Amino acid sequence: MHQEEKQNSEQTEEGLLYTYNRELFYHFDKEKGFSREIDYQVPANQTIIRQSWDAAEQRLDEVRSLIRAGKRSPIAYYMEKTLMEIPILADYMEMGKWRIRRHMKPKGFKKLKPEILEKYASIFGISVDALKNPEL
Amino acid sequence: MVKLEFEHRQAGHCENGVTSNLLNYHKFKISEPMVFGIGAGLFFSYLPFLKMQHAPTTSFRVWPGMVFDRTTKMLGIKTRVHRFREPRESMTKLNEVLEQGYPVGLQVGTYHLPFFPPEYRMHYNMHNLVIYGHDNGTYFVSDTLMERLVEISYDDLMRVRYAKGVFAPQGRMYYPIHVPDNIDIKPAIIKGIRKTAYNMVGIPFPLIGAKGIRYLAGRMRVWEKNLGPDRAAYYLGQVLRMEEEVGTAGAGFRYIYGAFLEEASRVLQQDWLREMSVEMGENANQWRAFSYYGSRNCKKRGKPEQSYDFLADMLLDCADREEKIFKKLAKIK
Repeated sequence: MHQEEKQNSEQTEEGLLYTYNRELFYHFDKEKGFSREIDYQVPANQTIIRQSWDAAEQRLDEVRSLIRAGKRSPIAYYMEKTLMEIPILADYMEMGKWRIRRHMKPKGFKKLKPEILEKYASIFGISVDALKNPEL
Repeated sequence: MVKLEFEHRQAGHCENGVTSNLLNYHKFKISEPMVFGIGAGLFFSYLPFLKMQHAPTTSFRVWPGMVFDRTTKMLGIKTRVHRFREPRESMTKLNEVLEQGYPVGLQVGTYHLPFFPPEYRMHYNMHNLVIYGHDNGTYFVSDTLMERLVEISYDDLMRVRYAKGVFAPQGRMYYPIHVPDNIDIKPAIIKGIRKTAYNMVGIPFPLIGAKGIRYLAGRMRVWEKNLGPDRAAYYLGQVLRMEEEVGTAGAGFRYIYGAFLEEASRVLQQDWLREMSVEMGENANQWRAFSYYGSRNCKKRGKPEQSYDFLADMLLDCADREEKIFKKLAKIK
Protein backbone atom coordinates (compact mmCIF):
# COMPACT_ATOMS: atom_id res chain seq x y z
CA MET A 1 0.00 0.00 0.00
CA HIS A 2 2.65 2.52 0.99
CA GLN A 3 4.72 1.43 -2.01
CA GLU A 4 2.53 3.25 -4.55
CA GLU A 5 1.96 6.19 -2.27
CA LYS A 6 5.72 6.65 -2.15
CA GLN A 7 5.96 6.84 -5.93
CA ASN A 8 3.28 9.48 -6.32
CA SER A 9 3.93 11.84 -3.47
CA GLU A 10 7.70 11.87 -3.02
CA GLN A 11 9.24 11.31 -6.40
CA THR A 12 7.58 14.33 -7.97
CA GLU A 13 8.13 16.52 -4.93
CA GLU A 14 11.87 16.09 -4.48
CA GLY A 15 13.15 13.70 -7.11
CA LEU A 16 16.13 11.44 -6.50
CA LEU A 17 19.13 13.19 -5.01
CA TYR A 18 21.69 10.45 -4.98
CA THR A 19 22.16 8.37 -8.10
CA TYR A 20 25.81 7.45 -7.87
CA ASN A 21 25.39 3.74 -7.34
CA ARG A 22 22.62 1.16 -7.33
CA GLU A 23 22.35 -1.20 -4.38
CA LEU A 24 20.73 -4.52 -3.71
CA PHE A 25 17.47 -4.51 -1.77
CA TYR A 26 15.27 -7.28 -0.46
CA HIS A 27 11.50 -7.20 -0.71
CA PHE A 28 8.65 -9.32 0.52
CA ASP A 29 5.22 -9.85 -0.92
CA LYS A 30 2.67 -12.27 0.52
CA GLU A 31 1.95 -13.86 -2.86
CA LYS A 32 5.39 -13.75 -4.44
CA GLY A 33 7.53 -14.31 -1.37
CA PHE A 34 11.02 -12.81 -1.02
CA SER A 35 12.79 -11.12 -3.90
CA ARG A 36 15.97 -9.16 -4.56
CA GLU A 37 16.23 -6.07 -6.68
CA ILE A 38 19.02 -3.69 -7.65
CA ASP A 39 18.00 -0.06 -7.52
CA TYR A 40 18.74 3.41 -6.14
CA GLN A 41 17.72 4.27 -2.62
CA VAL A 42 14.02 5.22 -2.53
CA PRO A 43 13.16 8.90 -1.93
CA ALA A 44 12.12 8.25 1.67
CA ASN A 45 15.61 6.92 2.46
CA GLN A 46 17.27 9.72 0.55
CA THR A 47 15.40 12.19 2.77
CA ILE A 48 16.92 10.72 5.90
CA ILE A 49 20.41 10.59 4.36
CA ARG A 50 20.13 14.24 3.43
CA GLN A 51 18.93 15.14 6.90
CA SER A 52 22.29 14.16 8.35
CA TRP A 53 24.17 16.26 5.76
CA ASP A 54 21.90 19.22 6.48
CA ALA A 55 22.58 18.81 10.19
CA ALA A 56 26.34 18.74 9.51
CA GLU A 57 26.03 21.94 7.46
CA GLN A 58 24.09 23.58 10.27
CA ARG A 59 26.72 22.61 12.86
CA LEU A 60 29.37 24.09 10.57
CA ASP A 61 27.43 27.36 10.40
CA GLU A 62 27.28 27.50 14.17
CA VAL A 63 31.04 26.98 14.43
CA ARG A 64 31.61 29.73 11.85
CA SER A 65 29.75 32.26 13.93
CA LEU A 66 31.54 31.13 17.10
CA ILE A 67 34.91 31.66 15.39
CA ARG A 68 33.90 35.11 14.22
CA ALA A 69 32.92 35.89 17.79
CA GLY A 70 36.40 34.77 18.91
CA LYS A 71 35.12 31.84 20.92
CA ARG A 72 36.53 28.93 18.90
CA SER A 73 39.76 28.18 17.04
CA PRO A 74 40.10 26.89 13.45
CA ILE A 75 40.53 23.36 14.85
CA ALA A 76 36.84 23.39 15.75
CA TYR A 77 35.96 24.49 12.21
CA TYR A 78 37.98 21.82 10.43
CA MET A 79 36.79 19.17 12.82
CA GLU A 80 33.19 19.86 11.85
CA LYS A 81 34.14 20.22 8.22
CA THR A 82 35.66 16.74 8.12
CA LEU A 83 32.56 15.44 9.98
CA MET A 84 34.58 14.45 13.04
CA GLU A 85 33.71 14.56 16.69
CA ILE A 86 36.07 15.12 19.61
CA PRO A 87 36.60 11.40 20.42
CA ILE A 88 37.48 10.59 16.78
CA LEU A 89 39.84 13.54 16.43
CA ALA A 90 41.46 12.67 19.76
CA ASP A 91 42.00 9.14 18.45
CA TYR A 92 43.62 10.41 15.25
CA MET A 93 45.80 12.87 17.18
CA GLU A 94 46.70 10.25 19.79
CA MET A 95 45.91 12.73 22.55
CA GLY A 96 43.45 13.09 25.40
CA LYS A 97 40.07 14.60 24.61
CA TRP A 98 40.69 17.40 27.09
CA ARG A 99 43.71 18.58 25.07
CA ILE A 100 41.63 18.67 21.88
CA ARG A 101 39.01 20.71 23.72
CA ARG A 102 41.69 23.15 24.80
CA HIS A 103 43.03 23.47 21.25
CA MET A 104 39.53 24.26 20.05
CA LYS A 105 39.66 27.55 21.97
CA PRO A 106 41.63 30.49 20.50
CA LYS A 107 43.82 30.77 23.61
CA GLY A 108 44.89 27.11 23.47
CA PHE A 109 45.33 27.24 19.70
CA LYS A 110 47.78 30.14 19.87
CA LYS A 111 50.12 28.19 22.12
CA LEU A 112 50.37 25.16 19.81
CA LYS A 113 53.81 23.95 18.76
CA PRO A 114 54.58 23.67 15.02
CA GLU A 115 54.72 19.84 15.16
CA ILE A 116 51.25 19.62 16.57
CA LEU A 117 49.92 22.12 14.05
CA GLU A 118 51.43 19.99 11.29
CA LYS A 119 49.82 16.87 12.66
CA TYR A 120 46.43 18.58 12.72
CA ALA A 121 46.94 19.85 9.18
CA SER A 122 47.83 16.42 7.84
CA ILE A 123 44.79 14.84 9.48
CA PHE A 124 42.50 17.47 7.97
CA GLY A 125 44.29 17.13 4.64
CA ILE A 126 45.28 20.83 4.42
CA SER A 127 48.39 23.01 4.77
CA VAL A 128 49.44 24.62 8.05
CA ASP A 129 48.73 28.01 6.45
CA ALA A 130 45.17 27.03 5.67
CA LEU A 131 44.82 25.73 9.21
CA LYS A 132 45.85 29.07 10.67
CA ASN A 133 43.75 31.15 8.27
CA PRO A 134 40.59 29.22 7.43
CA GLU A 135 38.32 30.48 4.69
CA LEU A 136 35.11 30.47 6.62
CA MET B 1 50.81 -8.80 -9.96
CA VAL B 2 48.02 -11.04 -8.71
CA LYS B 3 44.43 -11.09 -9.91
CA LEU B 4 42.31 -13.93 -8.61
CA GLU B 5 39.18 -15.16 -10.38
CA PHE B 6 36.73 -13.61 -7.94
CA GLU B 7 33.01 -13.49 -8.59
CA HIS B 8 31.51 -10.17 -7.53
CA ARG B 9 27.96 -10.41 -6.26
CA GLN B 10 26.14 -7.49 -4.67
CA ALA B 11 24.54 -8.08 -1.31
CA GLY B 12 22.05 -6.48 1.05
CA HIS B 13 24.74 -6.07 3.65
CA CYS B 14 28.53 -5.91 3.44
CA GLU B 15 29.65 -8.51 5.96
CA ASN B 16 27.16 -11.20 4.88
CA GLY B 17 28.05 -10.54 1.29
CA VAL B 18 31.80 -10.68 1.90
CA THR B 19 31.48 -13.95 3.83
CA SER B 20 29.23 -15.51 1.22
CA ASN B 21 31.46 -14.40 -1.67
CA LEU B 22 34.65 -15.57 0.04
CA LEU B 23 33.17 -19.02 0.69
CA ASN B 24 31.86 -19.11 -2.85
CA TYR B 25 35.42 -18.60 -4.06
CA HIS B 26 36.41 -21.72 -2.12
CA LYS B 27 33.74 -23.67 -4.02
CA PHE B 28 31.29 -23.68 -1.14
CA LYS B 29 27.99 -22.32 -2.43
CA ILE B 30 26.15 -20.46 0.31
CA SER B 31 23.66 -17.64 -0.08
CA GLU B 32 23.75 -14.31 1.73
CA PRO B 33 20.65 -15.08 3.86
CA MET B 34 22.15 -18.45 4.85
CA VAL B 35 25.33 -16.77 6.08
CA PHE B 36 23.29 -14.21 7.98
CA GLY B 37 21.12 -16.87 9.62
CA ILE B 38 23.90 -19.25 10.60
CA GLY B 39 26.02 -16.36 11.83
CA ALA B 40 23.05 -15.19 13.96
CA GLY B 41 23.41 -11.65 12.63
CA LEU B 42 19.97 -10.34 13.53
CA PHE B 43 19.84 -8.21 16.65
CA PHE B 44 18.42 -5.11 18.18
CA SER B 45 19.91 -2.76 20.70
CA TYR B 46 19.26 0.84 21.65
CA LEU B 47 22.15 2.51 23.48
CA PRO B 48 21.22 6.06 24.49
CA PHE B 49 24.48 6.56 26.40
CA LEU B 50 26.63 5.81 23.34
CA LYS B 51 26.35 8.77 20.97
CA MET B 52 27.23 8.48 17.32
CA GLN B 53 27.00 11.49 15.04
CA HIS B 54 25.40 13.45 17.88
CA ALA B 55 22.52 11.06 18.54
CA PRO B 56 21.94 7.79 20.45
CA THR B 57 23.07 4.58 18.79
CA THR B 58 20.54 2.09 17.55
CA SER B 59 21.85 -1.16 16.18
CA PHE B 60 19.90 -3.71 14.15
CA ARG B 61 22.69 -6.27 13.92
CA VAL B 62 25.45 -7.87 15.96
CA TRP B 63 28.94 -6.37 16.35
CA PRO B 64 31.07 -6.29 13.20
CA GLY B 65 33.11 -9.41 12.55
CA MET B 66 30.74 -11.71 14.40
CA VAL B 67 28.86 -12.97 11.35
CA PHE B 68 32.04 -14.14 9.61
CA ASP B 69 33.48 -15.67 12.79
CA ARG B 70 30.34 -17.51 13.80
CA THR B 71 29.40 -18.78 10.36
CA THR B 72 32.80 -20.26 9.62
CA LYS B 73 33.13 -21.69 13.12
CA MET B 74 29.75 -23.38 13.02
CA LEU B 75 30.49 -24.88 9.62
CA GLY B 76 33.94 -26.07 10.66
CA ILE B 77 35.74 -23.90 8.10
CA LYS B 78 39.35 -23.02 8.84
CA THR B 79 40.05 -19.30 8.81
CA ARG B 80 42.75 -16.79 9.63
CA VAL B 81 42.15 -13.40 11.25
CA HIS B 82 44.88 -10.79 11.75
CA ARG B 83 45.17 -7.34 13.25
CA PHE B 84 48.34 -5.28 13.17
CA ARG B 85 49.75 -2.42 15.15
CA GLU B 86 51.99 -1.34 12.29
CA PRO B 87 50.12 -0.22 9.11
CA ARG B 88 52.91 -1.14 6.67
CA GLU B 89 53.16 -4.61 8.13
CA SER B 90 49.45 -5.13 7.50
CA MET B 91 49.91 -4.25 3.83
CA THR B 92 52.88 -6.61 3.43
CA LYS B 93 50.85 -9.41 4.96
CA LEU B 94 47.96 -8.61 2.62
CA ASN B 95 50.22 -8.95 -0.43
CA GLU B 96 51.63 -12.18 0.90
CA VAL B 97 48.20 -13.75 1.41
CA LEU B 98 47.02 -12.63 -2.04
CA GLU B 99 50.10 -14.23 -3.57
CA GLN B 100 49.24 -17.48 -1.84
CA GLY B 101 45.96 -17.35 -3.75
CA TYR B 102 43.45 -16.32 -1.09
CA PRO B 103 41.09 -13.37 -1.54
CA VAL B 104 40.97 -11.38 1.71
CA GLY B 105 38.15 -9.71 3.62
CA LEU B 106 38.99 -6.36 5.23
CA GLN B 107 37.25 -4.18 7.77
CA VAL B 108 37.58 -0.51 6.76
CA GLY B 109 36.39 3.00 7.60
CA THR B 110 34.23 4.68 4.96
CA TYR B 111 35.24 8.34 5.23
CA HIS B 112 38.31 8.12 2.99
CA LEU B 113 37.04 5.38 0.68
CA PRO B 114 37.47 7.05 -2.75
CA PHE B 115 35.08 4.92 -4.79
CA PHE B 116 32.30 5.06 -2.20
CA PRO B 117 29.06 6.94 -2.94
CA PRO B 118 29.73 10.48 -1.63
CA GLU B 119 26.52 10.56 0.41
CA TYR B 120 27.79 7.68 2.56
CA ARG B 121 31.25 9.08 3.31
CA MET B 122 30.99 9.52 7.05
CA HIS B 123 33.19 8.23 9.85
CA TYR B 124 31.78 4.77 9.93
CA ASN B 125 34.20 1.95 10.68
CA MET B 126 32.13 -1.15 10.23
CA HIS B 127 32.30 -1.56 6.48
CA ASN B 128 33.68 -4.72 4.88
CA LEU B 129 35.10 -5.43 1.44
CA VAL B 130 37.19 -8.03 -0.38
CA ILE B 131 40.61 -7.50 -1.97
CA TYR B 132 41.18 -10.06 -4.71
CA GLY B 133 44.41 -8.88 -6.27
CA HIS B 134 46.99 -6.14 -6.65
CA ASP B 135 49.20 -4.71 -9.33
CA ASN B 136 51.94 -2.16 -8.82
CA GLY B 137 50.38 -0.40 -5.82
CA THR B 138 46.78 -0.66 -7.05
CA TYR B 139 44.43 -3.04 -5.30
CA PHE B 140 41.42 -4.73 -6.87
CA VAL B 141 38.31 -4.44 -4.73
CA SER B 142 35.00 -6.25 -4.63
CA ASP B 143 32.64 -4.18 -2.48
CA THR B 144 29.18 -5.72 -2.12
CA LEU B 145 27.57 -2.28 -1.93
CA MET B 146 28.88 -1.32 -5.36
CA GLU B 147 27.43 -2.36 -8.69
CA ARG B 148 30.84 -2.93 -10.25
CA LEU B 149 34.34 -3.98 -9.29
CA VAL B 150 36.53 -1.07 -8.22
CA GLU B 151 40.17 -0.22 -7.45
CA ILE B 152 42.01 1.56 -4.66
CA SER B 153 45.58 2.79 -4.23
CA TYR B 154 48.07 1.51 -1.64
CA ASP B 155 47.96 4.72 0.39
CA ASP B 156 44.19 5.03 0.38
CA LEU B 157 43.77 1.40 1.38
CA MET B 158 46.21 1.75 4.25
CA ARG B 159 44.39 4.86 5.39
CA VAL B 160 40.92 3.27 5.47
CA ARG B 161 42.30 0.17 7.21
CA TYR B 162 43.58 2.43 9.98
CA ALA B 163 40.57 4.70 10.33
CA LYS B 164 40.04 5.80 13.93
CA GLY B 165 37.03 6.14 16.19
CA VAL B 166 34.41 3.70 17.47
CA PHE B 167 35.11 0.12 16.31
CA ALA B 168 38.40 1.13 14.68
CA PRO B 169 39.36 -1.65 12.24
CA GLN B 170 43.06 -1.72 13.27
CA GLY B 171 43.92 -3.32 9.95
CA ARG B 172 41.65 -6.30 10.59
CA MET B 173 41.86 -8.86 7.77
CA TYR B 174 40.19 -12.26 7.57
CA TYR B 175 39.99 -15.10 5.06
CA PRO B 176 39.02 -18.77 4.91
CA ILE B 177 41.92 -21.08 4.12
CA HIS B 178 40.33 -24.51 4.07
CA VAL B 179 36.76 -25.65 3.47
CA PRO B 180 36.26 -29.33 4.37
CA ASP B 181 34.28 -31.62 2.05
CA ASN B 182 30.68 -32.63 2.81
CA ILE B 183 29.77 -29.95 5.30
CA ASP B 184 26.41 -30.64 6.94
CA ILE B 185 24.75 -27.27 7.35
CA LYS B 186 21.64 -28.55 9.18
CA PRO B 187 23.01 -28.46 12.74
CA ALA B 188 24.57 -25.06 12.03
CA ILE B 189 21.18 -23.68 10.94
CA ILE B 190 19.51 -24.91 14.11
CA LYS B 191 22.24 -23.49 16.32
CA GLY B 192 22.09 -20.18 14.47
CA ILE B 193 18.33 -19.89 14.94
CA ARG B 194 18.60 -20.72 18.65
CA LYS B 195 21.31 -18.12 19.13
CA THR B 196 19.28 -15.40 17.38
CA ALA B 197 16.16 -16.32 19.36
CA TYR B 198 18.17 -16.04 22.58
CA ASN B 199 19.53 -12.63 21.53
CA MET B 200 16.09 -11.30 20.66
CA VAL B 201 13.94 -12.61 23.52
CA GLY B 202 16.22 -14.34 26.03
CA ILE B 203 18.64 -11.67 27.27
CA PRO B 204 17.36 -10.18 30.54
CA PHE B 205 18.35 -6.60 29.77
CA PRO B 206 15.89 -3.85 28.82
CA LEU B 207 17.84 -2.27 25.95
CA ILE B 208 18.32 -5.42 23.89
CA GLY B 209 16.06 -7.48 21.62
CA ALA B 210 12.27 -7.09 21.55
CA LYS B 211 12.46 -5.32 24.93
CA GLY B 212 14.87 -2.82 23.41
CA ILE B 213 12.40 -2.01 20.63
CA ARG B 214 9.73 -1.34 23.27
CA TYR B 215 12.11 0.83 25.27
CA LEU B 216 12.92 2.88 22.16
CA ALA B 217 9.18 3.27 21.47
CA GLY B 218 8.72 4.62 24.99
CA ARG B 219 11.54 7.15 24.60
CA MET B 220 10.23 8.22 21.21
CA ARG B 221 6.95 9.39 22.74
CA VAL B 222 8.75 12.00 24.86
CA TRP B 223 11.39 13.14 22.33
CA GLU B 224 9.40 16.05 21.01
CA LYS B 225 8.54 17.30 24.48
CA ASN B 226 12.04 16.85 25.90
CA LEU B 227 14.23 17.80 22.94
CA GLY B 228 12.11 20.10 20.78
CA PRO B 229 10.98 19.32 17.23
CA ASP B 230 14.41 19.70 15.54
CA ARG B 231 16.38 17.41 17.83
CA ALA B 232 13.49 14.93 17.90
CA ALA B 233 13.50 14.77 14.10
CA TYR B 234 17.27 14.31 14.12
CA TYR B 235 17.09 11.49 16.69
CA LEU B 236 14.36 9.83 14.67
CA GLY B 237 16.43 10.25 11.51
CA GLN B 238 19.36 8.57 13.23
CA VAL B 239 17.25 5.52 14.04
CA LEU B 240 16.06 5.38 10.43
CA ARG B 241 19.56 5.82 9.03
CA MET B 242 20.74 2.90 11.11
CA GLU B 243 17.72 0.97 9.93
CA GLU B 244 17.93 1.64 6.21
CA GLU B 245 21.26 3.06 5.24
CA VAL B 246 24.50 1.43 4.29
CA GLY B 247 26.01 -1.09 6.67
CA THR B 248 23.09 -1.58 9.01
CA ALA B 249 20.11 -1.86 6.72
CA GLY B 250 17.84 -2.80 9.61
CA ALA B 251 14.54 -3.42 7.86
CA GLY B 252 16.74 -5.02 5.23
CA PHE B 253 18.02 -7.39 7.90
CA ARG B 254 14.48 -8.50 8.70
CA TYR B 255 13.98 -9.35 5.02
CA ILE B 256 17.25 -11.22 4.83
CA TYR B 257 16.33 -13.18 7.94
CA GLY B 258 12.94 -14.04 6.43
CA ALA B 259 14.64 -15.29 3.28
CA PHE B 260 16.94 -17.34 5.50
CA LEU B 261 13.98 -18.95 7.28
CA GLU B 262 12.45 -19.84 3.95
CA GLU B 263 15.68 -21.48 2.79
CA ALA B 264 16.03 -23.21 6.17
CA SER B 265 12.56 -24.72 5.88
CA ARG B 266 13.59 -26.29 2.59
CA VAL B 267 16.93 -27.61 3.87
CA LEU B 268 15.57 -28.92 7.17
CA GLN B 269 12.25 -29.99 5.65
CA GLN B 270 10.29 -28.34 8.43
CA ASP B 271 7.19 -26.65 7.02
CA TRP B 272 6.44 -24.51 10.03
CA LEU B 273 9.60 -22.50 9.33
CA ARG B 274 8.01 -21.42 6.08
CA GLU B 275 5.10 -19.92 8.01
CA MET B 276 7.61 -18.15 10.25
CA SER B 277 9.36 -16.75 7.18
CA VAL B 278 6.06 -15.25 6.00
CA GLU B 279 5.55 -13.67 9.42
CA MET B 280 9.09 -12.33 9.33
CA GLY B 281 8.47 -10.89 5.84
CA GLU B 282 5.37 -9.09 7.08
CA ASN B 283 7.28 -7.84 10.08
CA ALA B 284 9.94 -6.49 7.70
CA ASN B 285 7.26 -4.71 5.68
CA GLN B 286 6.04 -3.13 8.90
CA TRP B 287 9.56 -1.86 9.67
CA ARG B 288 9.80 -0.43 6.17
CA ALA B 289 6.44 1.31 6.61
CA PHE B 290 7.75 2.73 9.89
CA SER B 291 10.77 4.20 8.16
CA TYR B 292 8.61 5.55 5.35
CA TYR B 293 6.27 7.38 7.71
CA GLY B 294 9.15 8.41 9.95
CA SER B 295 11.08 9.95 7.05
CA ARG B 296 8.28 12.50 6.60
CA ASN B 297 9.37 14.10 9.86
CA CYS B 298 12.95 14.40 8.64
CA LYS B 299 12.46 16.78 5.75
CA LYS B 300 14.20 20.10 5.76
CA ARG B 301 11.89 22.75 7.10
CA GLY B 302 8.31 21.87 7.73
CA LYS B 303 6.51 20.56 10.75
CA PRO B 304 6.46 16.93 11.83
CA GLU B 305 3.83 15.25 9.69
CA GLN B 306 3.47 12.13 11.76
CA SER B 307 2.97 12.17 15.50
CA TYR B 308 5.66 10.39 17.50
CA ASP B 309 2.93 8.42 19.27
CA PHE B 310 1.84 6.98 15.94
CA LEU B 311 5.42 5.94 15.12
CA ALA B 312 5.96 4.50 18.60
CA ASP B 313 2.81 2.40 18.18
CA MET B 314 4.21 1.03 14.93
CA LEU B 315 7.40 0.08 16.77
CA LEU B 316 5.41 -1.67 19.50
CA ASP B 317 3.68 -3.67 16.80
CA CYS B 318 7.10 -4.72 15.40
CA ALA B 319 8.29 -5.65 18.90
CA ASP B 320 5.21 -7.84 19.45
CA ARG B 321 5.68 -9.57 16.12
CA GLU B 322 9.34 -10.25 16.73
CA GLU B 323 8.74 -11.51 20.24
CA LYS B 324 6.09 -13.91 18.94
CA ILE B 325 8.31 -15.15 16.09
CA PHE B 326 11.41 -15.72 18.18
CA LYS B 327 9.58 -17.34 21.10
CA LYS B 328 8.41 -19.94 18.59
CA LEU B 329 11.78 -20.21 16.87
CA ALA B 330 13.52 -20.82 20.21
CA LYS B 331 11.80 -24.23 20.31
CA ILE B 332 13.38 -25.46 17.08
CA LYS B 333 14.68 -29.05 17.06
